[in-house]
Amino acid sequence: MSKLILTVDDSASMRMLLKASLSAQGYRIESANDGQHGLERMHEVKPDLLITDINMPKMDGFELIEAVRSEGGFKGTPILVLSTEFSDEKKARARSAGATGWITKPFEAEKLGAAIRRVCP
Amino acid sequence: MSDELDEIQAIFFEECTEGLAAAEEGLSAMQNGDTSADTIASVFRAVHSIKGGAGAFGHTALTHFAHSFENVLDAVRGGKIEPTLPLVRVMLIAFDLLSDHVSAATGQAGVPEDGEMIARLEAILANGGLADDGEDATPAAQAPAPAAPATEAPAGEEDPFGFQPVTVAIEELDGESGGPADWTVRFTPGDADLANAGEPMLVIREVESLGGEIVAVDVGDLPALRDIDTEAAYFGWTLRVPGTVEESAIRDCFDFVSPEALVEITREEAGAIVADAVPEPAVEQEAALPDVRAQVDPSADLDQMLSMVQSIAEATTIAPSAPPAPEADKANKFADKPSEMVSQTIRVDLAKLDMLLNLVGELVIRNSILSDRLSSADAQRVELPELARLTRQIQDNVMSLRAQPIRQAFSRVPRMLRDLGAETGKTINLETIGETTEVDKGVIEKIGDPLTHMIRNAADHGIESAEERIAAGKSPDGTIRLSAEQKGARIFVRVKDDGRGINREKVLAKAVERGIVPADAQLSNEEIDQLICAPGFSTADTISNISGRGVGMDVVRSNVEALGGRVEIASVPGEGTTFTMILPLTLAILDGMIVRLAGQRFVLPLAHVIETVQPEKGQVKRTTPNTEVIEMRGEYLPVKRATEIFGLNDDRSIEDSLVVIVESETAGHVGLMVDTIDDRREVVIKSLDQNLHPIRGLGGATILGDGSIALILDIEALVASPTQTRFAPKGLAA
Repeated sequence: MSKLILTVDDSASMRMLLKASLSAQGYRIESANDGQHGLERMHEVKPDLLITDINMPKMDGFELIEAVRSEGGFKGTPILVLSTEFSDEKKARARSAGATGWITKPFEAEKLGAAIRRVCP
Repeated sequence: MSDELDEIQAIFFEECTEGLAAAEEGLSAMQNGDTSADTIASVFRAVHSIKGGAGAFGHTALTHFAHSFENVLDAVRGGKIEPTLPLVRVMLIAFDLLSDHVSAATGQAGVPEDGEMIARLEAILANGGLADDGEDATPAAQAPAPAAPATEAPAGEEDPFGFQPVTVAIEELDGESGGPADWTVRFTPGDADLANAGEPMLVIREVESLGGEIVAVDVGDLPALRDIDTEAAYFGWTLRVPGTVEESAIRDCFDFVSPEALVEITREEAGAIVADAVPEPAVEQEAALPDVRAQVDPSADLDQMLSMVQSIAEATTIAPSAPPAPEADKANKFADKPSEMVSQTIRVDLAKLDMLLNLVGELVIRNSILSDRLSSADAQRVELPELARLTRQIQDNVMSLRAQPIRQAFSRVPRMLRDLGAETGKTINLETIGETTEVDKGVIEKIGDPLTHMIRNAADHGIESAEERIAAGKSPDGTIRLSAEQKGARIFVRVKDDGRGINREKVLAKAVERGIVPADAQLSNEEIDQLICAPGFSTADTISNISGRGVGMDVVRSNVEALGGRVEIASVPGEGTTFTMILPLTLAILDGMIVRLAGQRFVLPLAHVIETVQPEKGQVKRTTPNTEVIEMRGEYLPVKRATEIFGLNDDRSIEDSLVVIVESETAGHVGLMVDTIDDRREVVIKSLDQNLHPIRGLGGATILGDGSIALILDIEALVASPTQTRFAPKGLAA
């Protein structure tokens, strides 16, 4: 069974773009439109990988990562941040929240696939 | 895929529209003093998302501009720049430019000139705010600033776009003869990697996929079994990667490795270390390195080493990845159920909705055909009323699908006011009320132009200059209030300014001068106000210094009337003017009364009907050769013969006719004489404009139950007050 990825982004076009690009690479995709929704979906779908945006309404990416990491069941779940932000400060913050890696938008499908392989076999 | 991409891009553009609206709303709130973190964050987020999507779809100019804008917003968000009013004003101008960029990306406009604004934004960022002289930062103040960021910003841009595709030719990996020396890669993950679910084995696998091989595993840090913390990192690996592989490709594999981890990429060439630890913080760990190095003996028997390494590697892989396995199973089970997310909304092509609406129109018509053809006894059967009810419900639902918040029509106004403000030197605040009021999409599209005219008028001529306002004891800033509300089947859209009001003396004088009214006309204040909508009234240099209060108002009126609506004007000298557009909720279906004029059927919109009267002998009197009145409860109302207006032969006696009392905006209550009333019916409006040309007095046509065509009467035009009919030079053809 192919890997299941949960993508969290408040932009519908970004979610669709991720879905189109990752489905083509053989992944199954679930999505959520903000951090809060993402946390709910984590419990529902228990993905193999979480890819989240940072700037989102209701609950941002940092908060989502912290919330996911604070739950015992998701300790081993890799989390990639996919954001247009790329400051070292933000990256460090994401890392200390528990993110596994950081990909900067815009992404290239191939690059994204490689990044996913690096955290999710 | 490309079709799919186009589709996604279309959604992205819709998101841009939403994002721009949110950004504008936030910036307007900031302009009004709301600089709360939430508001600033919402503006930032909107611009940020536009940038993100724009990048994904390759709109570089838009991405670049959004990036500059976002940087300033980020600094404001982070408290590094104070959101002063002058700064918010600059950001509003930047916002306008961003809108232009979005239009350019959609191909609706050319790419705007943004160099100056980018320099300005960068100067703001560099100076930690606006220069002292407010929004007009002098070029001198900007001059030094752009230089530094100009070189820096692209460098910053390199990062997000810095995906260098790496091509690795497989043949090269094998051909070692004479090639560059192999890379030696040392990798020791940090505890943080494991805590963040960073699996070292996957990183190593990536390196292996480049042709790398593990040559040694450093187990020097491995404590006694009882002391092992399962979440700590104890192993280090040494890998050999063919020298033909680009260093950057190897480095990419370690993209996600935490700063605490040790990553060292070296090449045997002259023993030089080509690169040292990747993330700089790891330099501190360099001290611990000699131990590791000492234990890795490059000359050791590789095969032996390798087998040992692989067995250890296997062992280390299994441990951390064991826990996720049951979860993956669960996920799989879950996936057997329909796992697709149920979305709350879907986007539908407007053409499909139009088609649906047309079909519902047909259904309404067929429904009336059915009730026409059946005998009245059959028509009473329960199925028919039920069918009529269902049809009605479907119609209402389809209508509501097309309903959109009027916000869309209002959204252009803030920018328009900013541009007008810049043009006229006035500061005009905007208040909007009821922007969530829902109106048919067709109505929204069509009120844009009238609304623009009304706002222009209010800003140009209604609102006085700051000096004039102060002299009149008002606040120097003008206010325009834009509101929308629904009352029954009508929408009221108001533009109210707190300006000088209509100068009736001047309007009247101008109207007389233009020959619109005779010099001796006695007009009420309301009638004088209406004159500004009279065709031919609009001119330059009349009422105000710029171009005259009447600019385009005749256009406004005819546009609104074409929509089946009307315009009301109320003005209080010195206090301001209110223009009200009263519009139908939908353009497609109306409740009508089927009447006969000289035997032919017409549809009279029910919304205008007050009551109907069967006149008794002597109740309708001729007062002058051209005017008749009807006496009702002691009052006299003018009566018009619709047949006369349309030039139809009419030899009915008054007693055989009916008088329908209708309410009109311009003429109040008026009696309209018709032969008979046949029915009351919902009719589907078919526009005449598309097939013929607009005809004054007729609002469109419809198809009746028997398939015949009936024309829809435009009450407003038919009963227009004598002032207007008498003075309207164009006669029936509008």
